[in-house]
Amino acid sequence: MKLIEVNSVTKEYARGFYALKNLTFSVEEGSFVSIVGPFGCGKTTILNLLGGITEDYIGNIKIRKESPAKARKTRKIGYVFQKPALLPWRNVIRNITLPLEISGIEKYEKAYDLLKIVKLEYAAKKMPHELSRGMQQLICIARSLILDPDVLLLDEPFCSIDEINRGKMQNRLLEIHKQTNKTTLLVTHSLNEAVYLSDQIIILTSRPAKVKRIIDIDFQERNEKVFFSEKFLNYLKIIKAELSNE
Amino acid sequence: MNNLFNIILGIFIFVLLWQSCIVVLELPTYILPSPFEVLTALKLNWKTILFHTEITFYESFSGFLIANLISIVIALIIAFHQKIEDLVIPIAIVIKTMPIIAIAPLLIIWFGPGLFSKIVTSMLVCFFPSLINTLRGVKCLDRNLLMLFKIYGVNKKQLIKMFILPSILPFLFAALKVSSSLAVVGALVGEFIGSNKGLGFLIISNYYNMNTALVLATVAVSSIMGISFYYIIHFFEKKFVLRSELSI
Repeated sequence: MKLIEVNSVTKEYARGFYALKNLTFSVEEGSFVSIVGPFGCGKTTILNLLGGITEDYIGNIKIRKESPAKARKTRKIGYVFQKPALLPWRNVIRNITLPLEISGIEKYEKAYDLLKIVKLEYAAKKMPHELSRGMQQLICIARSLILDPDVLLLDEPFCSIDEINRGKMQNRLLEIHKQTNKTTLLVTHSLNEAVYLSDQIIILTSRPAKVKRIIDIDFQERNEKVFFSEKFLNYLKIIKAELSNE
Repeated sequence: MNNLFNIILGIFIFVLLWQSCIVVLELPTYILPSPFEVLTALKLNWKTILFHTEITFYESFSGFLIANLISIVIALIIAFHQKIEDLVIPIAIVIKTMPIIAIAPLLIIWFGPGLFSKIVTSMLVCFFPSLINTLRGVKCLDRNLLMLFKIYGVNKKQLIKMFILPSILPFLFAALKVSSSLAVVGALVGEFIGSNKGLGFLIISNYYNMNTALVLATVAVSSIMGISFYYIIHFFEKKFVLRSELSI
């Protein structure tokens, strides 16, 4: 079942300055989809449209048959930004419960379950500045899941994390996806990350972005050995070839 | 401990230089009394000084409080309606550029010779630095966090309570610190122009009587009041603003 449907979407920032033009794609429920494309092609704009943050566009976007703005209001969307967006004056657990407080829901024990999922139970009472950037992003992911959204939008969450820790974070993200089965849309510049994590990769053209190609990724299992497999390298080759023309 | 020692050493050097000036330049008491004479004046007139200190404290604290409350309210309104800034800032600049000593007589004509005109004087002196600092805090709000709150469908009241006020706290304390010492100056200026009570009045009336020792004693007390204001705010800043933010 298609959870996200994007049909002929055009986004114009200033007169004649298009970020997206006739963008069309769809995302299956429960899948992990990555969006890759040249720098500044409008990847974050797509997430902002899906997240209901940017509301003026031409075309049709549906998230479980609802507009993004409505989906945002009914709390069907979880969003993680490039930079960890944590409130520095709140400890970890109070950061995770923030959406519950805003919504007036008092099921705070769920925050501890999510901390277990991201394997950071020990950090519940820590302040954000006491955690590494990767950990902060995991807390943001935990927070984005607290309202049990249908869709998880991730905007390059691990972009400023070193290679070794990035690998750990990617594995953690895979586990989270496996446990929660949330439809996840990841914007990334790292082709390795996209191939390793995704079921499907959407390759965009340069600005104004259109879908250039959609590639289905198929691995029996995902672990560090995958990086050295022929299949993995083939996927990389295909994506690089598509992007090198842009 | 080291800090306290430096303060004591600084005071000691200052007093030594002061006394040396009197001895070397052979200055008469009505020009520059000795530190001992100032202390004696303070001791002999402590009840009078205390009475006038209470008045000045009330005026300056009220002016300080009103100015900062108005600044916070304006900054919050601007946070939601940015166009209002273009309207408010020119007015604030006009208030700032008017010399307070020149408009103090007008304030006394408009608001009477009582405490209220001094509260207004104090408020006007505090208003601009307080507004500018608080506004800076509103302009530095983290865009990502703002988007995050938008995604979760926050209402205005929640946004102010959960995000804007805690975010602008470091700027708010900077505003409070700057305006705390200015508030005392504002109240004193108001009292200089037209009053029969307050430390400003005590200074001006003893200046006419050439009682320089008491003038200096009163000046010292008003300085102590300003410094105390500052350090009380500094204490609360340390308590409420994160250490990590203070060190930035």
